Amino acid sequence: MGAPVTRLEAPAALTGRSPAGKRRKQGGLIGETSGSHVGKSGFRAFLGALPFITPSFIGVAVFLVIPVIVLFVISFLNWNLLSPATLAGFTNYLNIFRFDDAAHSLGRTFYYVLLNIPLQTVVALALAVMLNSKRRGMGIYRILYVAPYLSTPVATAVIWYWVFDPKLGAVNALLSNIGITGPQWLSSPAWAMPVVAFVNIWQYVGYNMLFFLAGLQAIPKALYEAAEIDGAGPIRQFFRISLPLLNSTMLFVLVTGVIGSFQVFDTLYVLTQGGPGNSTEVLNLKIYQVAFTDFRLGEAAAMSVLLFGVILIFSIGQFLFFRNRTTYEYSA
Amino acid sequence: MSAAVESRTATRRAGEASSGLSASGRAVRIGLLYLILTVMALVFMVPYILTVFAAFKPISHIFSEPAWIPPHSLFLSNFRYDFVSGNFLRYLGNTALVTCVLTAGQVAFSIMGAYAFARLSFPGRDKIFWLYLMTLMVPNAVTIIPLYAMMREAHLLNTYWAIFLPYVLGAPYTIFLMRQFFRNIPQEVIDAARVDGCSEWRILARIVVPLSKPVIVTATLIAFVFGWNNFLWPLIVTNSPSHYVLTIGLANFQSNMNSQWNYSLAASVITLLPLAIIFGVFQRHIIRSISITQIR
Repeated sequence: MGAPVTRLEAPAALTGRSPAGKRRKQGGLIGETSGSHVGKSGFRAFLGALPFITPSFIGVAVFLVIPVIVLFVISFLNWNLLSPATLAGFTNYLNIFRFDDAAHSLGRTFYYVLLNIPLQTVVALALAVMLNSKRRGMGIYRILYVAPYLSTPVATAVIWYWVFDPKLGAVNALLSNIGITGPQWLSSPAWAMPVVAFVNIWQYVGYNMLFFLAGLQAIPKALYEAAEIDGAGPIRQFFRISLPLLNSTMLFVLVTGVIGSFQVFDTLYVLTQGGPGNSTEVLNLKIYQVAFTDFRLGEAAAMSVLLFGVILIFSIGQFLFFRNRTTYEYSA
Repeated sequence: MSAAVESRTATRRAGEASSGLSASGRAVRIGLLYLILTVMALVFMVPYILTVFAAFKPISHIFSEPAWIPPHSLFLSNFRYDFVSGNFLRYLGNTALVTCVLTAGQVAFSIMGAYAFARLSFPGRDKIFWLYLMTLMVPNAVTIIPLYAMMREAHLLNTYWAIFLPYVLGAPYTIFLMRQFFRNIPQEVIDAARVDGCSEWRILARIVVPLSKPVIVTATLIAFVFGWNNFLWPLIVTNSPSHYVLTIGLANFQSNMNSQWNYSLAASVITLLPLAIIFGVFQRHIIRSISITQIR
């Protein structure tokens, strides 16, 4: 009984190849349409399909499409939940910059993304390269690295809060053992954000590693063999073969990472609540505070529109990139 | 086949010889690899281990000894306090209820939708599917305020319904994944059933679902973990302990009982343990699930 061997399905979109040679003709996300023939039978076909799509259609319409419209409407209102809403025009959009310092929150958000994403990506890639072999025990390491991704962020944040506690925490206890007085971590304006970023890196690095691992495993071995014959060492092989061929995986990991980081909330809520001062007051946290502690729904909605706009730039880019690619195929 | 493998190992050896790696050099390299991997594994696991230690310690030990000292005995008072005085039994029940309803609904309705998009042809199908895909670009964070306003208008605040309703009717991304899967089921199998007079519902239940176990397990795990871990949404729509879920209870605990780490860490264990059990049982599925979902 060896280590559990878990096969990662190589994603065709990331490699341009499909596993097990079972390639089917599929163009883009929609794929070829098997001629939805509208005619006499069209209405009956529609009625037949209706029960199947109605629940999810209501879900999509009521909980995803309408909220976007409602969001824009609220962003033009003065509304404190107690008295009836009044029209505010564009003043919310001005006020969030004049009085709520949305620019500061946006800046903090970018700072967080910057601390978070590059390091997370590099570590994920390094782990994937190390795990990309048939040696014993790799499956166990992989599972251990992924565990934080599935853990409840609120619970792990509570744990890290304790680990980074200046007096009781394991980090400073360890540091004092080697004669270093550790900083105040989450109570220090300079250190709070790096600690939050560290916690999120810890949480997501294994998840991103899986994508790099799948990407690496899809690279034809023959390329490395040829490179070896030509005398290229492992480092050269990494930079000349692996890295270029991981391009689309890299883009995917970066874009989803950035989109996710813009929405960070749970860990910050537990670890800092935006403090000390306002040093970790990222946009999503600010939105929550303005909406649900200040009850200024209009301004909070305007900030949400701002956040939406920033995220949309990234997700449209991702959407365009993946639209024309064969997506996931499964070799049963 | 075997000749190819042999020639491959031969080239490998030749390659290794040419890059000048001796056997001992390789052993050192492999040893180093395992060392780094193990150190990293420790970084990933240490917080959990310390937490389990602390959860079984009285507060005096947490204050007086380093976190890496294991508990002296199986001290259970922290858990007893959390469950009884801390209301965590209630939170656990609420979380389980809401998460199970959310998961069952999301999976079932996604299967139905995906089947229609993959296997039925009806006017407007592709346009509706595009609409679903477009909503993938709507971030969760952005819908929170309007959804809150809508729930308020519907007088659903502080109900179980409010917690799972936005997610229970199916998820576009899950539908997208399942549709891809359903499309790969051979047409002949489905045609044969249609010729035999099976209804579409029967085909879905008796043929498509049994053939699509991997993607359904994936969808179930995604929905369950999402529901269990969800925080911001239940935080906004619930305001009484009778409807709190674990994440809310835990966050409140943390801010109310400042340095009573024994209680909040035991509560973290309570929150994480069900996930850990699922993770242990389904670990292979989970790794595969994540790789299936990577086109997100």
